[in-house]
Amino acid sequence: MSDSLSMMATTGLLGYGFGEEAFRYGLEMDLDFIAADAGSMDPGPHYLGEGVPFVSRKAIKRDIGLMLEGALEKGIPMLIGSAGGSGSAPQVALVREVVEEIAAERGYHFKMAIIHADQSKEYLHAKLKAGKIEPLGPIDDVTPHTIEETHRVVAMMGVEPFQQALKDGAQVVLAGRATDASIYSAIPLMRGYDPGLVWHLSKIVECAGAVAVPKSGQDCMIGILKPDHFLVVPAHPDVRCTRMSVAAHTLYENPSPYHLIEPDGTVVTVDSTYEQFDERTVKVAGSRFEHSNRYTVKLEGVRRAGYRTVFMAGARDPGLIAIIDDYIESCRARVRQQVAALGIGEDQYKLNVHVYGKSGTMASREPIQDAVPHEVGILAEVLADDEETSKAVMAMARLALLHSDFPGRKCISGNLAIPFSPSDIPVGQTYEFNLWHIMEIADPLEPFPIEMVDV
Amino acid sequence: MVALSELASVLRSKNAGALLCTLDLMFEDVATYERVRDSGVINPELIASLYHVSQNEVSIIPYDVAMAIKVTVPRLVPSGSFGDTDVYGSQQHGPLLTIEIPD
Repeated sequence: MSDSLSMMATTGLLGYGFGEEAFRYGLEMDLDFIAADAGSMDPGPHYLGEGVPFVSRKAIKRDIGLMLEGALEKGIPMLIGSAGGSGSAPQVALVREVVEEIAAERGYHFKMAIIHADQSKEYLHAKLKAGKIEPLGPIDDVTPHTIEETHRVVAMMGVEPFQQALKDGAQVVLAGRATDASIYSAIPLMRGYDPGLVWHLSKIVECAGAVAVPKSGQDCMIGILKPDHFLVVPAHPDVRCTRMSVAAHTLYENPSPYHLIEPDGTVVTVDSTYEQFDERTVKVAGSRFEHSNRYTVKLEGVRRAGYRTVFMAGARDPGLIAIIDDYIESCRARVRQQVAALGIGEDQYKLNVHVYGKSGTMASREPIQDAVPHEVGILAEVLADDEETSKAVMAMARLALLHSDFPGRKCISGNLAIPFSPSDIPVGQTYEFNLWHIMEIADPLEPFPIEMVDV
Repeated sequence: MVALSELASVLRSKNAGALLCTLDLMFEDVATYERVRDSGVINPELIASLYHVSQNEVSIIPYDVAMAIKVTVPRLVPSGSFGDTDVYGSQQHGPLLTIEIPD
């Protein structure tokens, strides 16, 4: 182990961009590797379901282009995790295509590893039978039926597939779904640094500029590991890290700031100390890693939920707004009757009407029940197994919402202001998460095949 | 009594995965943080009633080093499932704003 190792996280999400100036400052900091996380499940199940990124191809190409240039210039590894957003096969393939396109355009040559994270139904059935799959939070147990109806599923890899790819000679690693911190922990752990410090640093830098102040867009972040502590400092000299910005970061998107779970154990920050090292740099020590006696990877899977059609409109009539909840209930009954006449049963669709201005944001958790706004926004959504049914139900729901009677009604030519023509917007196949579980595996490499390519 | 919205410097919500919603209450100074933390007002009973969940589904963790209190509850439905209103979980902090903290 050398006495220091430096890494740069270019961006918290590949395709969200980073300042070129910051990147160039960072490159001159004697780096051991650069990396970026490309993944997030925040945008919901659609992107895994369709296998598409939630950033543009142009943005991915811009970010990767700069990173490739830097990594090749300095002769250091470049790691990308959760390529394409959810790290599934079509998303990884898209990012691979972008990398190969850039290389062809610029005449770059390097060895690249592609690590796959998609899981087959056969593999999951076998794991389920062996009792190796359990819920991660409030979700039902997996049954064989759950696996059968899954449309696409990825597992989150740990550091081992990255390490294997590097041992096999890859300079660029393009990985499917991976834990954010594994991307940054793989190399330092190979070099023998303390796992508590390594994992904690990785958890902080993986969001790149999230710990920088002020938020400037110049958001590349440098992590420097030492044998008994680590330092975090932004690449750009105009921004800094504060003790508080770094300490607060473990709160973000985690249920606990003290215990951060990874495939082979837990990062414990209970005894971590945070110190302002210099004006721009924070020093952290005391973080521990508690090894688990089993190795688990998270499964993220989606099933098809049906075809959605949406409809938006405004209501401005005080008489209607006063009784809006009852009105919507009566409309639902009317829809039920009218679609039954089309041969569409109650169990063949779902209809939801959100009332913005009253409870559109929090639904049943909205604490203010007696609000009397001067206008409300209506958002109706229909879900059905096929698009034709979805559109047919929405057409009836629109009619009911627009033209139903209510006590004291004076606006008898229509109850809603509809902003668009067409008014009903089919948004296609939708998905929902059905696998949010952990799976125990014996070999950390087993579910993550590595493909080596000469670019 | 003072509303929590006047005492906290950050009051935010966000998904912690697709099944949980986590709420961070952050403060500018130790005195304010400790006043809220030690008031006992932010407890499982209150959070359960505000978010319509049972008390054993509520997690509350004071985080002294960042002068923050972390509250986590199950989401109403998994992120992006039918009936969801907030895929990222970013606007679920509203019920916390008006919590009254004693002087």
